Amino acid sequence: MEGETIIKVEHLAKRFGTFEAVKDVSFSVNRGDVFGFLGPNGAGKSTTIRCLLSLITPDAGSIELFGKSFKTDRSAILSNIGSIIEKPDFYKYLSAQKNLEIFARVSGADVSKKEIQEMLEFVGLGDRGKHKLGGFSHGMKQRLGIAQTLLHKPDLIILDEPTTGLDPQGIIEIRNLILRLKNEQNKTILLSSHQLSEIELIANRMVIINQGRSIVEGSVTDLLNTQELLVRIEVDNAAATAELLQKAYPESLFKINSERELEVTFVKELVPELGRLLFSNNIDVHAIEPTRKLEDYFMKIIQA
Amino acid sequence: MKKFLTLLIIAIQFGVLAQDANDIISKVVTKLNTVNDYTVVANVKANIPMIKILPSKATIYFKQKDKFKVVSKGIVILPKQGFTEINGFLANKNSYLAVAGDSTKIGGVMTKLINVVPTGENSEIVLAKLWIDTKRSLIIKSQITTKTNGSVTTTYTYGDKAAFGLPSQLVFEIDVKAFKLPKSVAADINKTTAEKKTKPGKKGVITVTLTDYKVNTGLSDAIFSKKK
Amino acid sequence: MLLKNTYNEFIKILSKPRSYLGIGALTLLVGIIIFAMKADGRSIISFVTSSFEQTLTFNGDVLNGNLIAFIILQMLIVHIPLLVALVTGDLISGEAAMGTIRMLATKPISRTQIVLSKFIAGAMYTLFLTLWLGFFALFVSRQIFGTGDLIVLNSDGLVILQDADILWRFGLGFCVAFLALLTVSTLSIALSAFAENSIGPIVSTMAIIILFTIIGSLDVTVFDNIKPFLFTTHMASWRSFFEDPVPFSAIMKSIVILVVHNILLAAIAVYKFNKKDITS
Repeated sequence: MEGETIIKVEHLAKRFGTFEAVKDVSFSVNRGDVFGFLGPNGAGKSTTIRCLLSLITPDAGSIELFGKSFKTDRSAILSNIGSIIEKPDFYKYLSAQKNLEIFARVSGADVSKKEIQEMLEFVGLGDRGKHKLGGFSHGMKQRLGIAQTLLHKPDLIILDEPTTGLDPQGIIEIRNLILRLKNEQNKTILLSSHQLSEIELIANRMVIINQGRSIVEGSVTDLLNTQELLVRIEVDNAAATAELLQKAYPESLFKINSERELEVTFVKELVPELGRLLFSNNIDVHAIEPTRKLEDYFMKIIQA
Repeated sequence: MKKFLTLLIIAIQFGVLAQDANDIISKVVTKLNTVNDYTVVANVKANIPMIKILPSKATIYFKQKDKFKVVSKGIVILPKQGFTEINGFLANKNSYLAVAGDSTKIGGVMTKLINVVPTGENSEIVLAKLWIDTKRSLIIKSQITTKTNGSVTTTYTYGDKAAFGLPSQLVFEIDVKAFKLPKSVAADINKTTAEKKTKPGKKGVITVTLTDYKVNTGLSDAIFSKKK
Repeated sequence: MLLKNTYNEFIKILSKPRSYLGIGALTLLVGIIIFAMKADGRSIISFVTSSFEQTLTFNGDVLNGNLIAFIILQMLIVHIPLLVALVTGDLISGEAAMGTIRMLATKPISRTQIVLSKFIAGAMYTLFLTLWLGFFALFVSRQIFGTGDLIVLNSDGLVILQDADILWRFGLGFCVAFLALLTVSTLSIALSAFAENSIGPIVSTMAIIILFTIIGSLDVTVFDNIKPFLFTTHMASWRSFFEDPVPFSAIMKSIVILVVHNILLAAIAVYKFNKKDITS
């Protein structure tokens, strides 16, 4: 059911020796979400995701998936999750088909050889089924990883950096696949990525964690709209324009990037007013655009 | 004079005794030489310290003068000395000196002890003591002492082939003092307690029961040269 | 799920080149021994019987297939543990190094089942190696050298066992030898649960075997209390089937010790793997 909580994490903590990888992470993911899981390197993302998949036992906090706990329903939970953690690893001495058969056998679902072949074709490896993994490129292994994730038709898909190492075409393919999974099959997807633009394009909800703590969580749109935007303006004379705007908006920050370009942090609702001001002062505006919203927001949160 | 006569009598007696011993042996040898060849089934029971073996069976082939072969499916332990060596040894009168000793009853049979000493230095046999049933010219007991292999005492029992001098049973007593296990094999690293090793008894006994004799059937030499 | 993953483990073992390394090495070693015995086996027998041959003769077919099989078993049982550990020591840690353990652990199969399926597959591989050794040692040797009574040199003397009385001894001996090798397999898998690479468990297994064997062979009273409980002390208990009389109670004791080792080591592996944070 839409809105049903699929993942619920509360006050998760995990320490490795003296190092606290996760201190206090809480978030929830609803059915049908494409949930962005963001944080800088070392924030605790991988540790949190491994806790979600019972690869790591947390020291504190609780995790519920599908309303169930690992302590009592581990098998039922994992049979409904497909995941790729970092890079997908396979048995190099086995063929692609054999690898999928191995994982299918323990996935909790009856997957036939025909379905395996169909899945290989779905990810574009239909003619490579008999080939050993040793000869596969990174992109091919990533695609096989996706196949392995979807083989048993799970409701929840957890992807940790799925586009790492892929070329632009590969990135686009993964993005489209995720959207298809969401829109056509109503899958719930938790997506951890450094590609903030990707998250911004496909995620509807997100959490940002830093130094082992969850900082902010919510709808992507809401989080970005409540904040100021970074607006890039291209004009003939950036300095003069900056002076004009500074007088009109003394509390805003203007930054001159070059003779023709300046940036200003601005409330989104006031951007049209900004445009009218420039036009009314006969300033030729070649471009006025919000740039890298999520990235900027992300950096602001992290640095705060 | 008295002394001289005493010595003369002793010398004559000695000569007589020696002549008697040679005669006795000669009769034994004559009897043994009536056998050109034989085949016999041997049931062997070995009771030897440091060796465990169940009774086993073999077929023994013999052909004059010294062809001897043991054929068996399983492993059969026999004494190295004791089957035919004495025959060959006694056959050559010039290679030994035989001196008669006391008469003794062995197993209800009166026997005469004949001590046989080889005259040559190269002989493996150092001393052979034979207790012979002079009436039937059969060896009832022998004790053969060799240079390298200690002593073997053999007790002979005769059945229906006594006329040929072929025994129905031989009981060998062997000196086992020389038995030693190879050190590298003897050490059993998996034995965790210091086990008490009983000292090996000095004698081992091999009992060979001989049945189904086939005498003078004309055995081919090929039997003795064929590889098993 | 246990059976399904055990089947998976079979496939993996059968697909790894190192599995055939062990089988190939074993075949080669046995072949070399058979060749050497065919060329000059009598000298080896003379080494054993020389002391007795001063006063006794050993008639009959002493150099026969049963003796060759016994010699092969005796020589190789020391080396086969390495061939076993080569495959079984890699079962968990090899997957950790490859990263596939991460993939496997996110499936709806319990960690206990993962470990147990590896134990079962490792045991099957060990059984196959044992049977392969048995086939070569016994069957091939008997074909080449024929059958006959078996002459065995024990620490208290020679035992000569009749041909008809041998096969059951080999049968039971191989069963106990398999149990000994299974202990090696279990040990290497248990060590594999602690490691993140293949070499560590293999080397550690052999190091432990060597260390325990040395402790077992030292005639020092300080070790007397622990020697009976070292599994290496009981690894050669298969040999006891070739004594007369067969010390069944001592063999049973060895079996119990080995079984207890297997259970304990398996429990340690299961416990460790269940507690382990998979970070690779």
